[in-house]
Amino acid sequence: MRIFDPHIHMTSRTTDDYERMYAAGVRALVEPAFWLGQPRTTVGSFTDYFDGLIGWERFRAAQFGIRHHCTIALNPKEANDPRCAGVLDVLPRYLAKDGVVAVGEIGYDSMTPAEDAAFEAQLALAVEHELPAMVHTPHRDKATGTARSLDVVKNSGIDPGRVIIDHLNEVTVEAVLEAGCWMAFSIYPDTKMDPDRMVAILRRYGLERMLVNSAADWGRSDPLLTLRTGEAMLAAGFTEDDVDTVLWRNPVEFYGQSGRLVLDELPGFEAGTETFAGNSVLRGARDR
Amino acid sequence: MTDGPRLGYGTNGFANHPLGDALAVIADLGYTAVALTLDHAHLDPYAGDLACRVDAVRSRLAELGLAVVVETGARYLLDPRRKHHPTLVSPRAEDRDRRVDLLCRAVRVAEDLGADCVSFWSGTAEDTDAAASLTRLDEGVARVLAEAARRGVPLGLEPEPGMVVERLGDALALRARLGDPEPLRITLDVGHCVAVEPESAADCVRRAGPLLVNVQLDDMLPGVHEHLEFGEGELDLADTLGALDEIGYRGVAAVELPRHSHAAPEVAARSMAALRSATWLAGARRRVRERPETIRTLFPAAGRHCGRGPVRPASDPAGVVHGTADDVARVRLLEVLGESGRAGEVVDLYRYGDDAEKRGVLRGLSTVDGMLPVEDGLELVRDALRTNDTRLVAAALGPYAAAHLDDHGWRHGVLKCLFVGVPLAAVAGLAERADEELTRMVTDFAAERRAAGRAVPADAERLLTGASGGTA
Repeated sequence: MRIFDPHIHMTSRTTDDYERMYAAGVRALVEPAFWLGQPRTTVGSFTDYFDGLIGWERFRAAQFGIRHHCTIALNPKEANDPRCAGVLDVLPRYLAKDGVVAVGEIGYDSMTPAEDAAFEAQLALAVEHELPAMVHTPHRDKATGTARSLDVVKNSGIDPGRVIIDHLNEVTVEAVLEAGCWMAFSIYPDTKMDPDRMVAILRRYGLERMLVNSAADWGRSDPLLTLRTGEAMLAAGFTEDDVDTVLWRNPVEFYGQSGRLVLDELPGFEAGTETFAGNSVLRGARDR
Repeated sequence: MTDGPRLGYGTNGFANHPLGDALAVIADLGYTAVALTLDHAHLDPYAGDLACRVDAVRSRLAELGLAVVVETGARYLLDPRRKHHPTLVSPRAEDRDRRVDLLCRAVRVAEDLGADCVSFWSGTAEDTDAAASLTRLDEGVARVLAEAARRGVPLGLEPEPGMVVERLGDALALRARLGDPEPLRITLDVGHCVAVEPESAADCVRRAGPLLVNVQLDDMLPGVHEHLEFGEGELDLADTLGALDEIGYRGVAAVELPRHSHAAPEVAARSMAALRSATWLAGARRRVRERPETIRTLFPAAGRHCGRGPVRPASDPAGVVHGTADDVARVRLLEVLGESGRAGEVVDLYRYGDDAEKRGVLRGLSTVDGMLPVEDGLELVRDALRTNDTRLVAAALGPYAAAHLDDHGWRHGVLKCLFVGVPLAAVAGLAERADEELTRMVTDFAAERRAAGRAVPADAERLLTGASGGTA
């Protein structure tokens, strides 16, 4: 099984995770820019984070044979902090980078006027930079938040085929299906979807425009729930080809619209001897 | 530059393919034009059934969306024993008549094909009477011009090294002698410009200006008339394409590699990759010239459009010493930034750059030397030398560091190269700046390695024995 995890926050994960993910078949992923648990207080905190997403984390993933891409944005929660709003001015620099495959995560947290403004401005940036957009739907008041997100997407003029609406569930999937956006589901313990419910959704709504991710981050989460979902699909009678569609071909098709996916195997990653800014991630594990 | 020249490929570079196959391969690779050399195997103008064959080719060109120019430089079409013979300057009148007849046939074929022009050259002088050669040439051109005017087909006179019309100036002089006839225009082979012209190919393009009716693209070395693939000679392809764009040229610009037929599909594919890269670079340079701040998004995009491979793969497979294709493209963008008086922008390009962009800035520092405060440039060099990214360290020790970095910092940079395995060939000005203190430091380094039972890097040994300059 080859797996492309279209949403996972590797910055919060360990090298053990990278090793387990590679062993499970993960060969590519997208890490969306989001909040870090601890609120940021300055624009500089964002730019250091973005630099990590296009630099250090991409390098770290490559050491484990995994192609790392990212999305860049001001997230909805921190859009409410005026100290962070200045990050919108530096986004264009990052949206031009190799490895940046969408504007995201954008969308709503508490549905405030500040979130409206940041959401609309960043959809406009996606259009301007010819990038897809990746929209987070809120944890609270989700159905309303999803409907309102779809309205904002529609009014922005972006092609709905270039938009992911993420963290969907049984209640919100249909509106997104009708709107023509891509439907993403986070298989995340307790608060979001689980593999069996995901299989039920795939049975009911088909495989087209469907994305499955782990959304693993600093919370109680599991990077291998993509694999578990693939296994649950097979157990429920889906074919290997169906699993490949959902776990590989769909995310490749969606993020391929950026023109910036690099998916060829990492040459000789197992024998790599590069160091990054003085660090050897696998220090001592290789002959140097 | 979607509205730029129509990029094509010359069928004389597909001599081992039947014409139909050649056209299909050329179109499949993304070319939108073809330079069709009339030859024995490619629409022979002396074989029977010419009208039918021309008709079929015209339909095929239309199906494939290919524009066309007609070329007349076949080697043995008129004489199986003497290459390119006879010509418009041959001493015997009946020989010249045969050349005029071929060119007039080509004009009629071009008319029926809907070609942009018929391209031709003068010929090599066969006697020492230069004035006589010119007289014969003028008379022959005038005869072909009469047919061209009748058929409404422009002629493109191509300056050809070693021939009577060798340089652009010769062609313009001939045109003036004939009274600047409207249908007589210029075919310019940009490789020939490198070989024999006193100015760059881009400047030749500008000089030819509105008279340009056909362009041949290839690389060449100064003084050597040998058609080379892009990158193997000294042609500045991006600059040349930029000049074509600048003068508003919208005609055919076709790759001219008549000695590469044995590997035609591969060569044509490589040529297209080089043309796409150079077209992007030319457009990006123009945009930076018009609006310098656009470099903020163009600089990061260089690798996606120009590739990331090493410039000299054989001797420097990782591009540590001589850089990579994207390094070269980024330096070309910095050139324009400097010319626009915005060199200070490099500080932010570095600050917001990923590893590849930082490398590009470091390699371009010497092109903006004198345009930004030396301390600002050195700040970037020092930042790079603090990292352990070998490609950044190597790029930091280029000509800019050689010119400006303080002795202490520079010596530590060299020592760091020895530590992290950067070939000293990457260090600019090593022979000039190496001093006793560096020798002491490297001696101590070597002693420490030996004491630990480790090998001393060959570059360190070479530096100590005085054979500086490193490898690669």
